[in-house]
Amino acid sequence: MSFVSLNIESPTDAPAKLTRRALAKQRTRERVLSAARRLFTERGYEGATIRDIAQAAGMSTGAVFASFADKSELFDEILTTDYEIIYAQMRQAGQDAQSVDEGVIGMFAVAYGFHIEQLPLLQASIAVSWTRSETAERRNRSHLKHIFALLDGVLARGVERGELKADIDAKLLAEIIWDVYVANYRRAIFDAWSVEALLARLSEQLKVILAGARA
Amino acid sequence: MGVRDDQKQATREKVLDAARDLFNETGYDETTIRAIAERAGVSVGSVFTTFASKAEVLSHVMEKRLGELYAEFDRVVPYLRGSTADRLCSIFAIHYEFETRRVKLFLAHIAASYNPANEPGVKPFGRNERLSQMLHDVIEDGVRRGDVRPDVDPGLAVDVLKATYAWNYRLAAAGGVVQAIELSAAMDRQIAFIAEAWRPR
Repeated sequence: MSFVSLNIESPTDAPAKLTRRALAKQRTRERVLSAARRLFTERGYEGATIRDIAQAAGMSTGAVFASFADKSELFDEILTTDYEIIYAQMRQAGQDAQSVDEGVIGMFAVAYGFHIEQLPLLQASIAVSWTRSETAERRNRSHLKHIFALLDGVLARGVERGELKADIDAKLLAEIIWDVYVANYRRAIFDAWSVEALLARLSEQLKVILAGARA
Repeated sequence: MGVRDDQKQATREKVLDAARDLFNETGYDETTIRAIAERAGVSVGSVFTTFASKAEVLSHVMEKRLGELYAEFDRVVPYLRGSTADRLCSIFAIHYEFETRRVKLFLAHIAASYNPANEPGVKPFGRNERLSQMLHDVIEDGVRRGDVRPDVDPGLAVDVLKATYAWNYRLAAAGGVVQAIELSAAMDRQIAFIAEAWRPR
């Protein structure tokens, strides 16, 4: 089973006709982003400098700064793009599920599948989120808010179906599920666990977490 | 131990103390090996003869700190009373009290446990066998005392507890000053929830 097939929807609103200059600017951005993605993946956040990124993109440092204010903005843009790609799939997985377990596992199967393919980038993003600026934290929070809304939906439908008790503390439950999901990445990092192994473990952990919440 | 070993040991201690303070005051990423050497009053070269990298310095700083903490736990754990959940709450409350004294240092330790720099001399957060073992023992003891169902897999329960414990430090990562008591209060609620899973019924 593959968890990495990405059905990226094409943007609904076609971009307005771009002037040649705007088009050139957009191409520059894309070149910078693709070089940055490669270097962050290879070297982590601290290890990739703007100078390296400019060099890899075949342009001057000044040209990079014309498109991005600093390295963290560049990094944020990459993470936001990735997040948007998996968010749509996670939402679908959560909505299609017939049970809470299926919904949670379905959602995180998407996330594990996506991130394991580019693990160093994920490692850099988690590491940075613990120690970096308020900007990183804000970005992280706004993404998290949406993911938590999906988890809340899965749990709420579980309550409606009578699978979970009506009086569960859904916020707490979602938090604990999330904590465990994130912590499991260490097994991918240090023990080279596959997506399937991570999901099998998460599924067992979920049984422990949900045991007290089941109706 | 010869004079040379004594000196080596003294250098090591000085470097670890200096690094602990700098990581906590200015942050891990912002601290260079040069700055650590300067604060410790030793040469940059002598830091590198003792440690392969900054990541290794951080790992040893934490190991030293946790060594002190767990020595304390060895004395305390036999005196823990109450339900399994109560005992776990106490254990984590002591951790939070200890780590919030140098919270930035601990955040760096968690961050490093996801870091791409994956080196042999580094023992990341999550690989702390003492903590895992202690939690394991408390849960198994709970089975013996009859307030934990025997069919609960302690390994899974430990996973969930540790993940929750670490994530609560997000409250500190968000910026402001965080009190140990807030973190313990959050953990108490989470433990109460998780304990439902193993409550005999």
